[in-house]
Amino acid sequence: MSNLTWIILLIPAFPLLGFLVNTFFIRDERTAGRVASGAVILAFVMALLSIAVLQAQPEPAEGGRRIDYILWEWISVGSFRVPFGFLFDHLTAVMALLVTGVGAIIHVYSIGYMHGDVRQVRFFAYLNLFIFSMLMLIMGDNMLLLFLGWEGVGLCSFLLIGHYFDRRSVQPGINPSGAAVKAFVVNRVGDVGMLLAMAAIFSRLGSLSFYNQDPMLDGRIVPGFLAHVNDIAFAQLDLGAFGTIGIATAICLLILLGVTGKSAQVPLFVWLPDAMAGPTPVSALIHAATMVTSGVYLIARVQPLFQASPTAAGWVVTIGVLTALLAALAAVAQFDIKRVLAYSTISQLGYMIVAVGMGAVSAGMFHLLTHGIFKALLFLAAGSVIHGAHDHQDMRRMGGLRTKMPTTYWTYLVGALALAGIFPFAGFWSKDEIISYAWFNGGRPVGAILLIFASMITAFYMGRQIALIFFGQQRDTTYTPHESGQIITVPLIILAVGAVIGGLINFPGLHWLSDFLHPVFATPGAPPVDETYTLGQGILAVVTTLLAAASGYAGWYLYTHGAVARRVRIGQPDPLYRYNGDIWTGAEIGWGFDWFYDHAIVRPYRTASRFLSDVYDRQGIDGTLVDGTGRLMGRAAESLRGAQTGFIRNYVLIFLVGVVLMVGYFALS
Amino acid sequence: MVPTNYFVILSAILFTVGVIGVLTRRNALVVFMSVELMLNSANLALVAFAQARQSLTGQILVFFVITVAAAEVAVGLALLVAIFRSRRTLDVDEVSTLRG
Repeated sequence: MSNLTWIILLIPAFPLLGFLVNTFFIRDERTAGRVASGAVILAFVMALLSIAVLQAQPEPAEGGRRIDYILWEWISVGSFRVPFGFLFDHLTAVMALLVTGVGAIIHVYSIGYMHGDVRQVRFFAYLNLFIFSMLMLIMGDNMLLLFLGWEGVGLCSFLLIGHYFDRRSVQPGINPSGAAVKAFVVNRVGDVGMLLAMAAIFSRLGSLSFYNQDPMLDGRIVPGFLAHVNDIAFAQLDLGAFGTIGIATAICLLILLGVTGKSAQVPLFVWLPDAMAGPTPVSALIHAATMVTSGVYLIARVQPLFQASPTAAGWVVTIGVLTALLAALAAVAQFDIKRVLAYSTISQLGYMIVAVGMGAVSAGMFHLLTHGIFKALLFLAAGSVIHGAHDHQDMRRMGGLRTKMPTTYWTYLVGALALAGIFPFAGFWSKDEIISYAWFNGGRPVGAILLIFASMITAFYMGRQIALIFFGQQRDTTYTPHESGQIITVPLIILAVGAVIGGLINFPGLHWLSDFLHPVFATPGAPPVDETYTLGQGILAVVTTLLAAASGYAGWYLYTHGAVARRVRIGQPDPLYRYNGDIWTGAEIGWGFDWFYDHAIVRPYRTASRFLSDVYDRQGIDGTLVDGTGRLMGRAAESLRGAQTGFIRNYVLIFLVGVVLMVGYFALS
Repeated sequence: MVPTNYFVILSAILFTVGVIGVLTRRNALVVFMSVELMLNSANLALVAFAQARQSLTGQILVFFVITVAAAEVAVGLALLVAIFRSRRTLDVDEVSTLRG
């Protein structure tokens, strides 16, 4: 290990410092925003420097440069050894650039967006804590440290969703503290899977570290578990009456449970639409660009496990396709500007999950990157719209904002085109790579067709959204829209540029990202990325983008021209509702997952809690055990207190009789 | 010389009189005097036995008892005065606040 590797420690150090400074010293709101933004920008610079240092490392024999900086031994119990070490390889580098880069832009934007909020200092402290936790997640060199970051980002998500905890309800009728608790609890369900997966990994593979590590302080080497996955490839676990299951499959399915929680996949996605109760920059940073992608990162990181279990990989793809489709459909029926984007995020995460499930890690990471950029752009632009529309979020109250907010309109349009996968915007390249891999390399044409369908729906709801917000006449004239200030529009423009040229990072023929990530996943001695393009892939790409463009245009046309557009009224159901009522309602409520959880889990749980608190606790524990003991003692004392008369002579008499009896006893015996 | 058992019998009679006094009288001062009587009956027995055994130990013990009794009288009378001041009575049956 050569020198300068300590520089990777500075990446998480700056946000942590920013968090501590904002928490303990700063009371001034302007300073808080500057300190927080500065910390993240410095972290971004450090990430760039770290990549330079990484590239300067000597290439090890088994391939794959990586920096593994062990700070101290965290846990050492027998053979269970967990170092507190930070890992920096090419996969981490890509994630770190996204987290700190997009994070920095969103921090700067927040200074403008959160202006006038009463809890700004706290807000920025939590944002920095989030960045720190996220960096911990992607830089942890073992599962346990990753899990620490995993929980840290969950905590920050909880704190920031509940930023408006003093309001009973925010648009569209969500209770912020309830939404925060919901996000936290749903994620706990996924975390059970993570914990069990870690236990299984340790018991079967003997280590929680991803890769072989340099000797620790006492000179012993902690082996990495990813290199030994083949040891358990065919091992079976006896489930008794349920048959047997492959160990690798079991571990992967447990990890998948954790991923469905954190990355908002079916069936645990229900928390993400409600998470829109948080401030818009939070939605952009945590619930679109970074935290929700950590599931994708995790599957990419433990890719050998999933390759050892085709069954589990198939499940991952199924879940991803299902999510992409269901969430895209749900997004069509939303009226809240942020809820559309929330369901869209869930849908796009489905694409990434499909990619990493098929083993197309670089395609998945590519989409993660481009999505991080254009979805952050869309959320920030939506925040600008909400700002300009005087805190209205209902798209029925907007309309015609194109002329009033030109910068926001153009950037939003760029984001929407990128999301819809229109040539030549960033989303086109990354989404096409996933679909084409599914069709040609992954051998899943059905999945590919469903994904194409989902991308058509994506284009449709983005067309609808653009039409509702920016075109036509302003439907609610009680406010005067205005363009936002520069501190909001400049970040939008930067991100819009990224959304246009983002496709370059893995442009067909150049495939920089694939080359960059290659050392992480390649087996030793493998040839560099071999990418040839067939005519079929070209046709597929053209067809996909044409279909998307057509349905995007359809969505835009339907809501700007003709009878449908005229029937969009404030407080009224969508005009398309009359053609497909029940399906529409289903889409609007997110396919009833919330209803199901409410009836299957929440209400029985509440009833049981009520029984425990009102009957078991109040009458059983409190009534019988606690009060009962007291009453028993009271009764016993009642019957004994008669002996205490208060007359001294009674006591003396008893004393005398006692003495006489004792003396008589000793005298006679 | 008077036989020892005469003294012992007198001591027992005095002690019994003291006990009966403590048990039956209601005036705290009389109860107090009865207690003194019991102490002195014990003293009498001690001196009688000391003389019978030709040993000084019993007589020395009597001096101790007298000293302690003097201290006890001081404390006891103070208590009686305090009770009288607060209750305006010395009837021990009236002073039964500690009844359960």
